[in-house]
Amino acid sequence: MSSPSREAVLRAIDLRKDYPMNGETVHALRGVSLDVCAGEYVAIVGPSGSGKSTLLQLLGGLDEPSSGSVLVDGVALAGLADSALTRLRLTRLGFVFQRFHLLPVLSAIENVELPMSEAGVGRAERRARAVELLGYVGLAGRVAHRATQLSGGEMQRVAIARALANRPAVILADEPTGELDATTGRGVLDLFRRLNQDGTTLVVITHDEHLAAEAGRVIHMLDGHIVEQRQG
Amino acid sequence: MTWWRNLLRHPVRSALAIAGITVTTAMLLDMVLLAGGIERSFERLLLGRGYQIRISPSGTLPFDTEATIPGATGLREAFKADSGVAGVAPLLGASAFARTGDTLVALFAYGIDPAEQGIYQMVSGSDLAAGDTIGVLLGAPAATRLGAVAGDTVVLVGRLDPQLATALIERRLIVRGVARLLYDSRGQLSLAAALPVVQSLAGIREDDRVSAFVLRARSDGQAESVTLRLRSAHPDLEVNSVTDMVRHFRERLVYFRQLSYILGTISLIVTILLVATLMTITVNERLGEIVTLRAIGVSRATVVRSVMAEGAALTILGGGLGILLGLATARYLDAILTTFPGLPAAISFFVPDADRLLLAALVLLLTGVGAGVYPAIVAARASIAETLRAEAT
Repeated sequence: MSSPSREAVLRAIDLRKDYPMNGETVHALRGVSLDVCAGEYVAIVGPSGSGKSTLLQLLGGLDEPSSGSVLVDGVALAGLADSALTRLRLTRLGFVFQRFHLLPVLSAIENVELPMSEAGVGRAERRARAVELLGYVGLAGRVAHRATQLSGGEMQRVAIARALANRPAVILADEPTGELDATTGRGVLDLFRRLNQDGTTLVVITHDEHLAAEAGRVIHMLDGHIVEQRQG
Repeated sequence: MTWWRNLLRHPVRSALAIAGITVTTAMLLDMVLLAGGIERSFERLLLGRGYQIRISPSGTLPFDTEATIPGATGLREAFKADSGVAGVAPLLGASAFARTGDTLVALFAYGIDPAEQGIYQMVSGSDLAAGDTIGVLLGAPAATRLGAVAGDTVVLVGRLDPQLATALIERRLIVRGVARLLYDSRGQLSLAAALPVVQSLAGIREDDRVSAFVLRARSDGQAESVTLRLRSAHPDLEVNSVTDMVRHFRERLVYFRQLSYILGTISLIVTILLVATLMTITVNERLGEIVTLRAIGVSRATVVRSVMAEGAALTILGGGLGILLGLATARYLDAILTTFPGLPAAISFFVPDADRLLLAALVLLLTGVGAGVYPAIVAARASIAETLRAEAT
């Protein structure tokens, strides 16, 4: 893993997101600006409906802002065609979801290989890296297990290994411990800490106070605004 | 290449879908074979012995009616005089009876010229020699029925007195061999003998009558021009090439063909609906997974390919089994249909050939791929953010 530097790998400028719901307009984000530097570990916290998940989706290019812009490695997402945006998500961003979202018909190693296969990495190279990543997340002995044969914590570890597959600039995680019990959640928390220590940039949305406490910077959101930022 | 694992997620559902596709494919294949099979079989039968032209009484096709043509010897010489004609075979069909003890067995008698004939193939014994007027060939069912083998003598009765039911003409003939009579229906009791013999049995020897002539052109390419010349020279006769006869036959079967096309199209539509429905259900069930793939950077093209591959895989599996089932049912149905009275046993309703099988397979593959288009578009166009929000609640 590379050593952290202080350049912004992820930048949000005055992001606003409105969407219609039951005939009314919901203002999910009301002008959010944010810089995430390489090697940072940022936790975004706030009550339900504060706009955390919407912010993460906009940062990850999964949705388009109503106004404002997002830059990943200096590239504005707004100007990208769908294919280029998809490619950017594949190679520069890693995603970890609350419900893991592994392909149940694939084994752990095949799930990790999937993004590399899509990126055109050769079979031998991607297999070797998938083995290495599964070892890194503590699942060396579970590579051939189907996703459905793994526990929740193990599935989330596989999802983290999958997110790391193409050496992304930043990992975006949405409630990564939300579906896990306290013990298993602590394991994921330890893994995130180790990842960051090894140089991975992390942006994590969480309700989990322990997880937020691990972060180098904690951003509090309320009603679509950032209301507080503090260094951890 | 996860399509087969995806199919195994719901093995019963996949098996039922494949079974459905198997049945519709079998039906489609049978309809494709049926639509043109009998025509090709008919053409193959007519050309089987190399005779490309048929001449029959005006307004009829050979053996359509009991009408006959007088002056056969003279006409035969006239036909032979055409430079494009390589051979002329006269043919007479008549009723006859074989006497076995006190009973008479009804037979169909073919009067032929042994030196030039296109209606039988020898099975056993020896063929009739040119000018053999005391020999006879029996079809296998007739030989069995009469208990006759080569060298035996059979007594044939040609005409019965309608008042007294006694024979007006009776001939003793020596069985030369057993032949396969190509135009016979299954189990038909038939014999072939020299033309003068059958003319005598039918009581039409004086007029030298025949039912039809079959002609061999010097080459296939000359058949049509010879037909036109003979038609022009003999306007009182019906002169048809095999191509003409197949056309006539096709015209008679037009409703049959239309029915085949309609049923074939219905089975194709059912296949499309089956695959499209199953794939749409599958895509909607897996929308969360699909948008996750899109979120982590899997392209729309990959998603589309994956869904369409699954649809195509279902169709190929069902289609492959359907082709086997279709061939088996075609064989079974053919065995039933060819027992229709009066239909030559050599005719098949379902004629499998590589082109038709390839056509059916290609249509099916396109169907499977095409049926996957709509669900693939649904999968590729699903909103990542909206679907993830819906999944989270």
